[in-house]
Amino acid sequence: MKRWIALLGALVLVLAACNGDDDSGGDDGGTTAAPTEGTVAQVEGSMAETVQSRGTLNCGVNDAVPGFGFTAADGSFSGFDIDYCRAVAAAVLGDSSLVDFRPLTAQQRFTALQSGEIDVLIRNTTYTASRDGGEGATFVTTTFYDGQGMMVKADSGIASIDDMANLSICVLSGTTTELNLAARMAAGGLAYTPLTFDANDQLQAAFIAGQCDGWTSDKSQLAGVRSQWPDGEGGPDALVILDETFSKEPLGPVVADGDSQWAQMVNWAVLCTIQAEESGVDSSNVGSYSGDDAGVKRLLGLEIEADDGTMSVFDAGLGLPTDFCSQVISQVGNYGEIFDNNVGEGTALGLTRGVNAQWTDGGLLYAPPYR
Amino acid sequence: MTATDTPIDVRPPFWRDLRVIRLVVQLVAVVVVFGLVWILGNNLLDELRQRNLPTTFDFLDQPTGVNIPDSSFDPASPIRSALLVGIKNTFLLVIVGIPLVTVFGTLIGVARLSTNWLVAKAATVYVEAIRNIPPLLIIIFVFNAFILRALPPPTEAATPLDWFVISNLNIVGPSIATTEGAGVVWFLTLIGVIAAFVVGYARTRYSERTGHPHHRILWGLAVILFFAVVGYFIMGRPVSISFPELDGRIILGGFGGLGSYFAVLLALVIYTSSHIAEIVRGSILAVPNGQSEASNALALSGFQRLRYVILPQAYRIALPPIINQYLNFTKNTSLAIAIGFSEITLITFQAIGNGSPAPQLILMLMGGYLIFSLTISLIVNYINRRLQLVGR
Repeated sequence: MKRWIALLGALVLVLAACNGDDDSGGDDGGTTAAPTEGTVAQVEGSMAETVQSRGTLNCGVNDAVPGFGFTAADGSFSGFDIDYCRAVAAAVLGDSSLVDFRPLTAQQRFTALQSGEIDVLIRNTTYTASRDGGEGATFVTTTFYDGQGMMVKADSGIASIDDMANLSICVLSGTTTELNLAARMAAGGLAYTPLTFDANDQLQAAFIAGQCDGWTSDKSQLAGVRSQWPDGEGGPDALVILDETFSKEPLGPVVADGDSQWAQMVNWAVLCTIQAEESGVDSSNVGSYSGDDAGVKRLLGLEIEADDGTMSVFDAGLGLPTDFCSQVISQVGNYGEIFDNNVGEGTALGLTRGVNAQWTDGGLLYAPPYR
Repeated sequence: MTATDTPIDVRPPFWRDLRVIRLVVQLVAVVVVFGLVWILGNNLLDELRQRNLPTTFDFLDQPTGVNIPDSSFDPASPIRSALLVGIKNTFLLVIVGIPLVTVFGTLIGVARLSTNWLVAKAATVYVEAIRNIPPLLIIIFVFNAFILRALPPPTEAATPLDWFVISNLNIVGPSIATTEGAGVVWFLTLIGVIAAFVVGYARTRYSERTGHPHHRILWGLAVILFFAVVGYFIMGRPVSISFPELDGRIILGGFGGLGSYFAVLLALVIYTSSHIAEIVRGSILAVPNGQSEASNALALSGFQRLRYVILPQAYRIALPPIINQYLNFTKNTSLAIAIGFSEITLITFQAIGNGSPAPQLILMLMGGYLIFSLTISLIVNYINRRLQLVGR
């Protein structure tokens, strides 16, 4: 009897202890949650501080689209999107080389952004409403206005998408491209077999083997792939990109929701390249600007003389250094230079500016006034 | 008496009492596990809410927006039906793959023990080479080498005998097409199957009584065929063979699958068979030598020895580890994402990429594989229990 009482007592003690454990566990959870909230709140206030204290920018990129985001054989990254990573690093950290490139698949990219693995996503990502809403993403100014197209083999005899009834079409999974393809084929009443891949390499293998008749993606991506088409398969001339553009694909940098300061810093790093082109500032003349255009001086963070002779430097209060745009232009270049170096007519892609021209030239690039 | 009673009655203080200690340890373990789950779950929900990400499962009713190859899937259907198509495709890999790995694994395992030097060495090389290659590599290799490069592109699809359409996109063979009245034929065939079991039972009794071979499988098949043929002619030939026909890249009629399906299936059968072969070989070696000697003494042929004496006993030993390989096979089907076969993992990731919330979908994916694995375990464990009971 005695030992039963002892046992019961022990049990009660244990349970009490467990409850205590549980409570303290809960408290622990509470207390650990509280600092987490604190740190998150802090991050929400300034991802910029995190980036600046870390000293590098984690930039989510593509590594398989020539001209936009591509890894060379020696492991170096190059491309239009890559240059925008550099531009953000130049603006925020003052040095365009302080970028840690993180290659991501289409499916991984938003999770990487939400979880804070990357600070900014510049990976030919289309701005859509559901991504803005459901993926917790904030899109900044579009860097490249693209549209979806279809690439076929030149000897296939296919002249338009309406010729593609009952054929098979390769597409990357987890992309807007995939959604547009379904919509375009449904609109044309065309049956088709979609083959979805999660990386361009395997898709290319399938396309070469003739598994699919068409390869659909953003036209810029297709141009990139076409430019690097292996000579053994006939080189770029073996492929044709059909004229039809069947979607709007505004591509631009993306940051996580809930950090408006960081979003505006990334945004203005982009806008700086656009404004600089409009103002005629490029990497060759940015260091030696001697004009007296107050707008350019504001943009470049040069001293401006007021009527009473005092000198001042314009600070827009973005949280960026006043000379951020000088850094961006001198280290990376203005929009036109970035475009021409990576995808322009002098490159293998040979893209024309098209809608990606300045608004003064009838294009869509339009930077708000920097004042 | 009291001298022996007292030490039994006296128990150590509760902190040294084994029963109490066990109870405490278990309680603590339960509390720790549930506490961890609770903390992690709350943390997830908190973080999701802070980032304005959805925490519900409402997204399952949103339209999928994409097409799924090799199915009559409508892009306007909700995400939940897309996930069902994925589950179906995974199931098709598993249901076809598991019998195949069992058969090939056994053949190779037996071959490794063959007295024929060439056969034994070839099997050894196969097992040692394949077992040490990651399955993902095998899948990509098989897809590129055996499907993409070896088979003709769909524009030049091979149509041997006009019975098959073979290209690197699809591999399709004849199937059964039915018209009105086919239901009666199926019903009669079903009766035939039941009758076959009755006949089989009778043949077994006959064999036990007389010692003549029972041939119950032959008898059973004959009975089923008889019923099916009678039904076929009575109902005016409602069942016919449908040969696949090409319309562009779309194949009408016939029965088959995408090239990527066969690539995954082949690759995983190659890979898993090598593991099962080792299990089978080990199990055969674990059957006491006396069994072989006894069957030799009875003048059983090599095949009879294997079929009636060795393998039944070997499978009893092999089945528990083979379950693991079945489960590995099931889980490895997720690697099909690398070559774009729309099984459940690919469909899930596709949905995530197109804007559905990742945490919920990944949880569902994990739950799905858990259900798959537990079902396989249940079935094979049931068979295992049956086998164990029969012999001992």
